[in-house]
Amino acid sequence: MVGPAAVAMAFANPLVLAGCAVAVLIAGSGAGAAAALRHAAGGALVLAALIVAINGLVVRRGETVLLRGGEVPLLGELDVTAEALAEGAVIGVRIAVVIAAFAVISARVDPDYLLRSIRRFAGRSALTATLLVRLVPLAVADLGRLREAAQLRGPGATPVTRLAMLRRLVSGTLDRAVDSAATLEVRGYGRPAVRLGRDARPGRRRFDRHFTVAAIALAAVAAAARAGGVGGFDAYPSTTAEIDAATVAFALAIPALVGVPFLAAGSRSV
Amino acid sequence: MREGRTRLSRPLRTAAAAALIAAAAAGCGFGEGEASSGTATLVVTRDHGDERLLEASVSDPPRSETVVRLLDREAEIETSFGGNFVDSIDGLGASSGPEGRRDWFFYVNGYWSPIGAAEAGVEAGDRIWWDYRLWEEAYRVPVVVGSWPAPFATEPGPVSVECHGIAGCSTVKRRLQTAGAELAAAGDSVAVRVVVGPWDQIEDDADAGTLAGGPGSSGVYVDDRADGALFALGEDGEPAPGAPQLDGLVAAVRRGERPPAWVVTGITRRGLRLAASSLDAGALADRYALAVGRDGSRFGLPVVKG
Repeated sequence: MVGPAAVAMAFANPLVLAGCAVAVLIAGSGAGAAAALRHAAGGALVLAALIVAINGLVVRRGETVLLRGGEVPLLGELDVTAEALAEGAVIGVRIAVVIAAFAVISARVDPDYLLRSIRRFAGRSALTATLLVRLVPLAVADLGRLREAAQLRGPGATPVTRLAMLRRLVSGTLDRAVDSAATLEVRGYGRPAVRLGRDARPGRRRFDRHFTVAAIALAAVAAAARAGGVGGFDAYPSTTAEIDAATVAFALAIPALVGVPFLAAGSRSV
Repeated sequence: MREGRTRLSRPLRTAAAAALIAAAAAGCGFGEGEASSGTATLVVTRDHGDERLLEASVSDPPRSETVVRLLDREAEIETSFGGNFVDSIDGLGASSGPEGRRDWFFYVNGYWSPIGAAEAGVEAGDRIWWDYRLWEEAYRVPVVVGSWPAPFATEPGPVSVECHGIAGCSTVKRRLQTAGAELAAAGDSVAVRVVVGPWDQIEDDADAGTLAGGPGSSGVYVDDRADGALFALGEDGEPAPGAPQLDGLVAAVRRGERPPAWVVTGITRRGLRLAASSLDAGALADRYALAVGRDGSRFGLPVVKG
């Protein structure tokens, strides 16, 4: 899922972006995250529309002037050009693809499994990431509970300042961090590593290799496309986008590479 | 009506809304807008005009034409702030090196633009000049001579020619009139001053006298000595080694928001006459200021190392 999002941020060609969007849809459906996709789509589309409008109003480049808006205080002379709107659309689609991709990740990726997978070659980073993943959402939840508690004190109570809230939040998080450290110490973290026998290693899921190979292939194809100048796009002075055979092939390869592991796995979880 | 809140009456609300709509509609229109008849030119140079990189023109520019749009058609540019700030032209961008820092500056009809490239409009007859230069010695160079016959051909308003002595005066007036300037009568408020005379007679003039302060004061890379001579400076603000001794000068200065002043001067009468006869596009093109040497040679200021 990170692959299509990364490709969307690296390329501005509309065909390529369409390929990334289709890839996210395929991955989201294949992973059983259609509901998360629908939920994210509404917000992403509104954000994309806002970006198109703002870019059109703020950027004053582009040959095709659609509207001359006159002198506006603080903003100066307003011109809306087709090229600025096109650039805004590209930025909006990029952001929508990234939002959708991470909506799927958030809905379907098991963070514990992911962290266990990287622990073998980046143990401390995995531990730090694990703690962050655990503690940050807990801190956010604590903040919500503290706010509710403050409200339940009623209108007559002395208002709780942000500083007091922050102080309580930080002390609670630190308490949890100390508890986590004590637990880790009891479990032997920090002692010399013990080599596990083959049978004792955490088991992999069956089709991880398919997805790994697909991700590497997508990265390689994207790098080759970038190096080869495929998928060019220029918003200014006139909007031009490459629509040649290489770009079409690249655009089709993105959803294909993302979709193939799902066909192989026939699985509904990643 | 709740306590503590006030509401405008209906007629006032209607009037306020109508005023806002009228203000927004002023200057509005669809498409490029009407075209002005004539040609606008674009010149891109580097190192205080020492090397010309690009030259282009646009015929009958529409109302929506701006400096950044014109430049965007002719060169590969990168911009920020919605196109108002040009970061690079054809790969050449802000840099910092052993000689100092360089960046892009642009002039419209010889005036340093106070507004961004996306807001500066282009009309027929305009001369747009982009220059990539060192700027630590003189960041602010408000007016330049290198867009001749601008501003005289483009600036509305009369031009006053203040002659100190006879030498060069009639030549200057003739050249200005040929360029399209309307010479001012006594008592007119003027768009541009032109001060003509030997250096020792005009150095106390409020505008011409700024030349003695060096490039940081006037934007002109020249300085004076105690003996009254003028000498040419390099881009680093230091006396240019090997440069001929100055005998004449054509420069433009501006104090604040006052009308700009062109200075046509010389150390000797010969230098002054040679400076006056340099008022043409061939001699002044792409020059921030023009110097005339004792040997009769003409060269731009600042002196750029070869």
